[in-house]
Amino acid sequence: MIRLEKVTVAYGEQVVLDGIDLEVPTGKTMVILGESGSGKTTILKCVLGTLHPVSGRVLANDLEVGKLTDEELLRFRRRMGMVFQEGALFDSMTVGENVAFWLWEHTTLSDDKVEERVRMLLQFVGLESSIDQMPSDLSGGMRRRVAIARAMAAEDPAFMLYDEPTTGLDPFTSKSICDLMRRVQREFKSTNIVVTHDLTDAYRVGDLFTFIKDAKVIATGTRQEIEHSSDPFIRTFISLDS
Amino acid sequence: MPVRRALLFLAGVLMSVQDFTMMIVRSFRYLIFHFRMRESLFEMDRLGVGSIPIVFLANLFAGLDMALQFSVVMAPYGASNLLGRVVATSIIRDMGPVLASLVMSARVTAGITSELGMMATTQQIEALLVMGVDPVDRLIAPKILAGMVMLPALSVVGDLLGVLAGLMVAQLGAHVPAPLYWSGVRSALTLPNLVNGMLKPFVFGFILVAVGCFYGLRTTGGAQGVGRATTKAVVSAAIWILIANFMISKFLIDVWGWKL
Ligand SMILES: Nc1ncnc2c1ncn2[C@@H]1O[C@H](COP(=O)(O)OP(=O)(O)O)[C@@H](O)[C@H]1O
Ligand SMILES: [Mg+2]
Repeated sequence: MIRLEKVTVAYGEQVVLDGIDLEVPTGKTMVILGESGSGKTTILKCVLGTLHPVSGRVLANDLEVGKLTDEELLRFRRRMGMVFQEGALFDSMTVGENVAFWLWEHTTLSDDKVEERVRMLLQFVGLESSIDQMPSDLSGGMRRRVAIARAMAAEDPAFMLYDEPTTGLDPFTSKSICDLMRRVQREFKSTNIVVTHDLTDAYRVGDLFTFIKDAKVIATGTRQEIEHSSDPFIRTFISLDS
Repeated sequence: MPVRRALLFLAGVLMSVQDFTMMIVRSFRYLIFHFRMRESLFEMDRLGVGSIPIVFLANLFAGLDMALQFSVVMAPYGASNLLGRVVATSIIRDMGPVLASLVMSARVTAGITSELGMMATTQQIEALLVMGVDPVDRLIAPKILAGMVMLPALSVVGDLLGVLAGLMVAQLGAHVPAPLYWSGVRSALTLPNLVNGMLKPFVFGFILVAVGCFYGLRTTGGAQGVGRATTKAVVSAAIWILIANFMISKFLIDVWGWKL
């Protein structure tokens, strides 16, 4: 379970999140929709604990993220995978090294054991043959796949956070990334937050949907509830997509 | 309003100084308590070995030119016998380290800032943090060490080349016999000169890497931001190197008096 309670975030005088409440039940996928600049990435940063809200709290399975010490935070993030916008792969390292990075930094596993895990993860995302390629040689979709594999490197993920995982991809690649996200969820029963501004992809992966506008949650619920919303912003968002 | 703006500006400067200091303190802490051999060697290789040709060229022509100018000035006074000493002294104390560092800042500082800047704008730095790795530990500390080790090393080689270039001019242009030139050079190898010649590149190596890292890490604003940060970093590294050069010269002269 991931829960945000009255979370407020401000950069200087600009309030980016204004008392946001959000709950993602265990094993479910919450999609956050909203225009760019509406604070979607900021929500993910609060969950990761890289950004501390001015007020409010963020809970992940009874852990209060803001109260964790550095060490606890590290342990917490082992079970949390973050897939950054565009992937954010380390571009000086090969695909395999990117996925191995966490294991190298935080474990004393032998090279063989590390390689075994890396190959298994790359196989899971369908990219075992690219293990020695550089990120710059990969297509946008392949980079997202590697990013997903890297996010799962530490342990089997309990939480997965995706920041616009399909933005800038063609429709076929988008669908395959969505399929992969579903597969991660089924395989690991992970609790997920997916940020996107694409409604088609949102419906593909989401169980629950939240709309953000002007620093506030304007609607949250299942697909049916969202589609029957009378809010003009949501109506426009839905009609623009179809 | 102007007062408010001035105060805000001052606050910004103080914040930057604090950020810079924090970065440096943490770097040294990591170098002592969490030393990374592999990354450090990698950075030394990249920073030092790749820079040999430009340091060579810079010192070669600086040595040629300096010997030429000095011999023109000194010949009328019959002081050509001092040529070796004067050339070696100015190369070891000033020209060698300063020139090497300035040409290196164009290469190294710019390279570091644009690389880190690119990483910052594509969220790679954030990815490191999320994976529980401090960018200062993984990226900055090894680079700073490499700068402090490799600049003195490059300077020694550069000094030697500058002095040899001076010999060429002494022989062909000023008709100073080689033994006379060399005895002058030897008399320039005094303790104050050598300390000066090693301390400066050590400090400059630190400056040109640290400044590059500082501007690189705080880059925002995409490719344009990377370009802006790189320009700023190279300019400030050059200025700080010249400031530090003067301060070290002054300090060492205070320590040793007006001895050569
Ligand atoms: N580090 C920061 N400093 C200042 N403002 C920021 C910072 N990060 C984000 N913002 C601002 O916060 C708002 C929300 O950003 P973000 O969460 O990235 O939006 P989204 O992901 O929905 O596009 C934007 O208006 C952005 O300009
Ligand atoms: Mg965003």
